[in-house]
Amino acid sequence: MARGILTPLPAGGAAEPRPALRIRRLTKSFAGMVALAGFELDIEPGEVHALVGENGSGKSTVIKILAGYHRPGPGGEIEIDGTALPFGSAPAAHAMGCRFVHQDLGLVLQLPVVDNLYLNSGFASRFGTIREARTRRQASELLRRVGLDVDPRTVVATLPLAQRTGVAVARALQGEDHDQVRLLVLDEPTATLPENEVHQLLGMIRQVAADGVAVLYVSHRLDEIFRVADNVTVLRDGHRVATVPVSSLDKRRLVSLLVGDELGELPSPGPGGSGGVGAALSVQGLRGPGVTGVTFRARPGEIVGFAGITGSGRESLLGMVFGAVRRLGGVVEAGGRPLPPYDPRAAIAAGLAYLPPDRKTTGAMMDLSARENLSICGLRSFWSGLLLRRTAERAEARQWFDRLGVRPAGATEKQLATFSGGNQQKVLFAKWLRLSPTVFLLDEPTQGVDVGTKAELHRQLLSAAAGGSTILVSSSDLEELTALCHRVLVLRAGRVAAELGSSSVTTASISRASLGGPEVLTA
Amino acid sequence: MNSRLSSPRINLGFNSFSGLYLLVLFIVVFGIWTPHLFLTLATVQSVAAEQATTAMLAIAVLIPIAAGAYDLSVGATMNLSTIICVWLQTVRGWSMWPAIAVAVGACVVVGVVNGFVIVRLRVNSFIATLGMASVITAVQDIVSGQNQPNPPTTAAWTNLTQLNVAGFQIIVLYLLALALIAWWALDHTPAGRYLYAIGGNPEASRLAGVAVGRYTWYALIASATVSGIAGVFYGSQTGPSLTFGAGLLLPAFAAVFLGSTQINPGRFNVWGTMLAIYVLAVGVKGLQLITGVQWLAEMFNGVALVGAVAFALSRQRLAESRAAGRTDDPVPEVSDSGASPAQEPAPVPSGAGDGG
Repeated sequence: MARGILTPLPAGGAAEPRPALRIRRLTKSFAGMVALAGFELDIEPGEVHALVGENGSGKSTVIKILAGYHRPGPGGEIEIDGTALPFGSAPAAHAMGCRFVHQDLGLVLQLPVVDNLYLNSGFASRFGTIREARTRRQASELLRRVGLDVDPRTVVATLPLAQRTGVAVARALQGEDHDQVRLLVLDEPTATLPENEVHQLLGMIRQVAADGVAVLYVSHRLDEIFRVADNVTVLRDGHRVATVPVSSLDKRRLVSLLVGDELGELPSPGPGGSGGVGAALSVQGLRGPGVTGVTFRARPGEIVGFAGITGSGRESLLGMVFGAVRRLGGVVEAGGRPLPPYDPRAAIAAGLAYLPPDRKTTGAMMDLSARENLSICGLRSFWSGLLLRRTAERAEARQWFDRLGVRPAGATEKQLATFSGGNQQKVLFAKWLRLSPTVFLLDEPTQGVDVGTKAELHRQLLSAAAGGSTILVSSSDLEELTALCHRVLVLRAGRVAAELGSSSVTTASISRASLGGPEVLTA
Repeated sequence: MNSRLSSPRINLGFNSFSGLYLLVLFIVVFGIWTPHLFLTLATVQSVAAEQATTAMLAIAVLIPIAAGAYDLSVGATMNLSTIICVWLQTVRGWSMWPAIAVAVGACVVVGVVNGFVIVRLRVNSFIATLGMASVITAVQDIVSGQNQPNPPTTAAWTNLTQLNVAGFQIIVLYLLALALIAWWALDHTPAGRYLYAIGGNPEASRLAGVAVGRYTWYALIASATVSGIAGVFYGSQTGPSLTFGAGLLLPAFAAVFLGSTQINPGRFNVWGTMLAIYVLAVGVKGLQLITGVQWLAEMFNGVALVGAVAFALSRQRLAESRAAGRTDDPVPEVSDSGASPAQEPAPVPSGAGDGG
């Protein structure tokens, strides 16, 4: 609880400065299985330290121990600014200056920024009445600390995603005394952010660190680590594989540290679109929410990417093609036949498959088993003699589990909610793959998925494309687009602003095209 | 591994069958307490028959609730069916079968209207069926003139449910048949799977090509139809009453929710519901034999409904926190796959105290 000002400086001649966070010999087992083995970590004040690892490597365990959610095994020590952190107590972690921003920001979207900032900690008030002006002043001050210039009265729902994350960071930092905050933990803050907003968020993070806060940064997006972090610690299977300055690494090396395999390279597309001359999918003058007129064609075997910042129309485009979102105008033709505007059944019958961006709300039945999620689209094939043949259904589910390497292996009867995010996504991939669709529409297909799973899903897509399927990928992950696509259409203000052919697809060219022209800023 | 996974899905764990153990406990305790009253075949036969119509009504509640739609009009629908069927026979002099057909037909219409309001007009099922229950009660008053019709005196009418089959009333067999059909429809047909999918996530189901509106509508029609059939049997077994339906609604819901913690925990299911009905009934019966008080059924059902939902929610929270822990922890995956791979979702190891 020592305030920054009162904290005695290290005595002159002390060997080393005291780290803001010091972790020693941290172990954690669940049911006899080691999740974390002898983990160690130091973060200096003002340092941004990235923690990376595939799903299941133990990152979350570290964070949950820090947050007081898990208790570590005996012998582990955590010191915050030289003081031992009591384990298993969230209030204690908070009191010692640890703050957490999770991927789910926990903001109330319908309320203004200022209300979100003070809902937990309490408003400045007099006789129980909120002192509006003073609260607003405090809020503006707080937002400036993270480099966010928004009116505190703005409703959160109207802010771009990066700024919402910024509000969550500001909320984490606020307290009766800002100096108390020693450690800020960001758990995949950029998972859903488009490229240009990522940039803005990374700026905010650096600003927070410049204030002397130690930042522990968890992300699956490797390029960000090179842009924001000073040092990086790699976890694999609960073991710390390396802690190195970012400057001494390149991306290839980092991937091989992550996967533990020098061949951990992402697959890349072959020469695509050679399959046929006709268009597997043709979209003309598509209009709807956020989209003012999009026209394109895609050939069999082709992988077409869609990029664009938030509000460019990219988010709703594929849903509109499929019929998940009602389209207001335009024609969508699959195999030469027009599709009705709002009818997923017809789209599926025409050979389309659609993977929505958000697994929880629109992608999956989380309470149902993996098998039931897998077979929901094609139950007819198991229906014979007035019975659903569950043995056959289970056998097929197991085959898909094997083929995509879903973990835990063979656990087809477990609730989908109990799988990790990457494995859930694999199950949803399998659900469509088994129908052998002619056109895949994929919205953020590898969001929040680790490198290994991502490579596996990409391999499946490439093989589907090689088999003649047309694949449309809408993603905010530019590396994914460059790695996967034969060409990329960049949307801006509801229209296709640029088309980048295979030779010109780079993250930089996509970024440029996404932002291009005079940007219209929404206040 | 394959042989292990394809083993039959039978697990006599406490998690799935706590109700069964509770039932045994009731029988042992009450059996020791009042052996001459409780431990008799007559008690078994009377409990089985007395609860049959409530159990049928619970099936009516179960079908739409699998798809996430609450049908609160089942009690009123059942009552309407009884009154129409009896009224047509005693007041209008119809013979039994046409009267039954018209009564059940009227209930099918109720289901169609419920479906229209919920699916087409998109009114929340809770509101729609609550309103519907009130409308049905009004219709029933119009039909009956608020006079309780006399029960038909034909032997065919009483034999419809009370025919003796090995000491049991035949209605117990009807219930068994109905439960089997409901089990088949919900667990062994694509339609049933669609209902559970809709109940799990309607939007995801729609995007997977499930005709969400149509199947919800079917479920509501099935619910009203089963209520109508239960109403006819009630009239034959117990006699007409203008007000019994409302009183059966809560026990039926209690059984469905309590049942969702049994057999196939975490899912509304037929056999769990049947188990719940009879666990509650045996508990009430035993305590009534001992104490002689009349308020036990209400107390039991109320506590069971709230307790079962609270229990199911805490189970869900536990499962969620485990799932959250899992996203990055390799560990529980391994431990779980070793434990009970053949079991459906068995989220909580400690399935101990339930609502009963």
